[in-house]
Amino acid sequence: MMRSILRGLCLACALAVATPAVVAMAAPLDEPPILADAVREGLLPPMKDRLPAHPRVIDLPAMGRETGRFGGVMRMLMSDQRDIRMMTIYGYARMVVFDEKGDIQPDILEKVDVTDGRSFTLHIRPGHKWSDGEPLTAEDFRYYWEDVANNARLSPGGPPFSYIVNDKPPKFEVIDPLTVRYAWDVPNPGFLPALAGAQPLPIVMPAHYLKQFHERYADKAALAKLIKDNRVKDWGAMHERKSRQYRPENPDLPVLDPWRNTTAPPAEMFVFERNPYFHRTDSEGRQLPYVDRVTLSTGTASLIPAKAGAGEADLQARYLRFDNYTFLKRNAKMNDFSVRLWTRGEGSYVALYPNLTTADPVWRALLHDVRVRRALSVGINRHLINKVVFFGLARESANTVLPESPLFQPELQRAWADHDTVLANRLLDQAGLEKRDDDGVRFLPDGRRAELTVDASGEVTEEIDVLELIGYDWMKIGVKLLPRTAQRDVLRRRIIAGQTVMSVSQGIDNAVPSADMEPSELAPAHYLQSQWPLWGKYVQSRGQEGEKPDVPAAIELIDLHARWKSSVSHEERERIWREMLRIQSEQVFSIGVVNGTSQPVIVSNRLRNVPEKAIYSFEPGAFFGQSMPDTFWYADAKAQD
Amino acid sequence: MLRYIVRRVLIMIPTLVITSMLIFTVMLLPPSDYFETYVAEMQAQGERADMSRIEFLRKEYGFDRPVVERYFLWISGFVRGDFGYSFEYEMPVRDIVGERLALTMLVSFCTIIMTWIVAFPIGIYSATRQYSWGDYGLTFLGLIGIAIPHFLLALLFMYFANVWFGTSIGGLMDPVYFNQPMSWDKAKSILEHLWIPVLIIGAGGTGKMIRRIRANLLDELQKQYVVTAKAKGLSPRKALLKYPLRMSLNFFISDIGDILPAIVSGAELTAVVLSLQTTGPLLLRALQSQDMYLAGSFLMFLACLTVVGVLISDIALGFLDPRIRLSGGSVK
Repeated sequence: MMRSILRGLCLACALAVATPAVVAMAAPLDEPPILADAVREGLLPPMKDRLPAHPRVIDLPAMGRETGRFGGVMRMLMSDQRDIRMMTIYGYARMVVFDEKGDIQPDILEKVDVTDGRSFTLHIRPGHKWSDGEPLTAEDFRYYWEDVANNARLSPGGPPFSYIVNDKPPKFEVIDPLTVRYAWDVPNPGFLPALAGAQPLPIVMPAHYLKQFHERYADKAALAKLIKDNRVKDWGAMHERKSRQYRPENPDLPVLDPWRNTTAPPAEMFVFERNPYFHRTDSEGRQLPYVDRVTLSTGTASLIPAKAGAGEADLQARYLRFDNYTFLKRNAKMNDFSVRLWTRGEGSYVALYPNLTTADPVWRALLHDVRVRRALSVGINRHLINKVVFFGLARESANTVLPESPLFQPELQRAWADHDTVLANRLLDQAGLEKRDDDGVRFLPDGRRAELTVDASGEVTEEIDVLELIGYDWMKIGVKLLPRTAQRDVLRRRIIAGQTVMSVSQGIDNAVPSADMEPSELAPAHYLQSQWPLWGKYVQSRGQEGEKPDVPAAIELIDLHARWKSSVSHEERERIWREMLRIQSEQVFSIGVVNGTSQPVIVSNRLRNVPEKAIYSFEPGAFFGQSMPDTFWYADAKAQD
Repeated sequence: MLRYIVRRVLIMIPTLVITSMLIFTVMLLPPSDYFETYVAEMQAQGERADMSRIEFLRKEYGFDRPVVERYFLWISGFVRGDFGYSFEYEMPVRDIVGERLALTMLVSFCTIIMTWIVAFPIGIYSATRQYSWGDYGLTFLGLIGIAIPHFLLALLFMYFANVWFGTSIGGLMDPVYFNQPMSWDKAKSILEHLWIPVLIIGAGGTGKMIRRIRANLLDELQKQYVVTAKAKGLSPRKALLKYPLRMSLNFFISDIGDILPAIVSGAELTAVVLSLQTTGPLLLRALQSQDMYLAGSFLMFLACLTVVGVLISDIALGFLDPRIRLSGGSVK
């Protein structure tokens, strides 16, 4: 008896000692502490009722990460309030998402059934709710499609371009309250990638909230009063302002993202709070996100590295540049953060674009000659540039996809990218530029010196450094490079008007593509493409404006692009991608220098689950989005911070 | 006097009309517009702009209408207190500027007061003890204030304030206090940050003011009435403050005209470097991105304040110094 009492006492003591730890371990499994009070008071349903019936379970251990605990505030620095769109990007909650392999996975949707690549049936998760607790249903899809995308006042140009295939929008159908279908007459392989984009194709809007601003549903008098109170000119402007999803300025707008904005602009600091109805959980059933709040403080962009170095950010990459690295590293210990180097995702940090549609007829003829483009490319000593400007940390490469992409081909990385002055000189001689003046500069066919003006925006300091080094290299092959800087939009105008002969900007934006992403950057498709603006315009306007492409390789690229757009299978798309990449590299339509440069990322030492290494790019990856910031957590999180 | 004021006020109207036309024309001079700049900027960051949305906005803000119509829409709104709409912020200009105005005025007021408090005693001291070591020393300091660019001073101050005092870099308060209602702690945080911009922005102004007070006062001190006053046994204090100083203040009053717009706009460059939430950086950014109604309305507002300020200083001068004639014309 005595013994058992004693044992009981001991146990009680042990329990008493253990209690705090047990509570700390057990609490997160129940509710995020920040919501616990509201749940206890009945203001908020318990977690299992807030989650969809089948939440998206993120298997963290399988990803090599730990399951975490709730709490904490993640501080970030931004330049101004337009940057709050970063939260939509970082959150990366989409209908479907690209996983790290570049494959499409359902996220908000439970699944997508695709028939013949042209009919898409979207299944909503049963019990999925908006951030205000209202259910997400087919009505929200219908509202967007019929009352926003196809409303003449709200979308004067009709639905967004990604919905239009061969001039025709899809047939939209509500099958049941949790199922909708978008069907085209022909395949539309671009549809799901557009939904998974860093800037997603809009497809759903919270009808229950927005109807109060819509002419078709709202009570006339109430709407008139709202318009007057908000000092806007009509209901259309009102609806547009209240419904911004990409830039979540309206704190009242229900969202599906991991965090929702609670601050109305204008403000110096935006506070994003956890969405209590978010649809993802970790493998132990805790609702994500782990971190309760994200704050974005705004301030001058050029001060952000200094502020971040002073420990004012917990997670920061935006506005940090590689040349801040040493400064950040020096402050890292004092302010308890680490600086990681992620890989930037452009095809080339700096790329030269010969303008094949330039207004100068002599240069145009020369640039059309593939030998000239190849000569200019092999004339560059990339190794030296890498050593001098990038401390040897970058990869010397043509402007092509990165090794991280499933479409990477090593021979394309090196295609016409190895420094060879002799070869370059021979190619230029063959192209009919064998005559040189006393300085060694070649003569153009019309007797001018081969002075190549290269337009740059001058905003990236490395651009000018690289150009200077290329200038030395090209002197050896008899081409004089004259850099010329202009403000970005002036430069863009010049490119569009065909006034540039060659310009500089970054390489392929999405250099980690999978075959399911549209290869629009590789073919003439848009009037903003620096290497063939007029052809791009021609394709974009379906032959109404611009110039008809007259280089066979470019025409082939356009054909391949069109074939991709009507492709049905993944294998077919992969074949097309590889072919397009091969043509791009063989033809040297753009001249890459180095890629895989480093992007410093500041991570608080208390923050867990942030990958050591990842690709930093807008598309794909949504900057931090693919690393899932909702799974980041604080090692020393307190209940309320 | 009254007739003079009425005439001056009437002249203000055509002045402002012409100014408004000039502002609007200059806004339209660049070949591109805000939306083009925006698309370019997005592209440079590797992002894409939603073209269908841009079409919507272009139409929404009347870019499809003729220029003259847009001018009249803008200016008639301006007169009624509707300053137009900022493309960049997608908000009414009034809300954006209004929010920043209070802090801007706080910074500017403090700066001006500091300038006066520091410059007057030093200026008087330097003038009365011309070519003394004190004069040389203070003049040297004042010249340094004029000579060092504000933004450089700002960077230095910011760095050392952070390293030595742990003040958060830039801004007018610790980020913790953003969005919080005013409290004792918040006020303390603001004061903790305020001295940096006030000192920096004030440095140049103080230096200039010292020089001007010194020069003007020196002119007066050499005049015969001062000598007479001293000879008749007027106390040195009175012989300095009562007459010569008053006489030397004309420049100070005529400066008031410039102070009014300066209070509202704040020192743009310094504010950008220091990341102050004042109106200066807003204007600069609006001009860069061709956010034309935000920039235009703000410039127009400054123009109005300048015109009013000049009027006020002219009237005040008239009161201060009866020798100044209100009507023009030749002296003889």
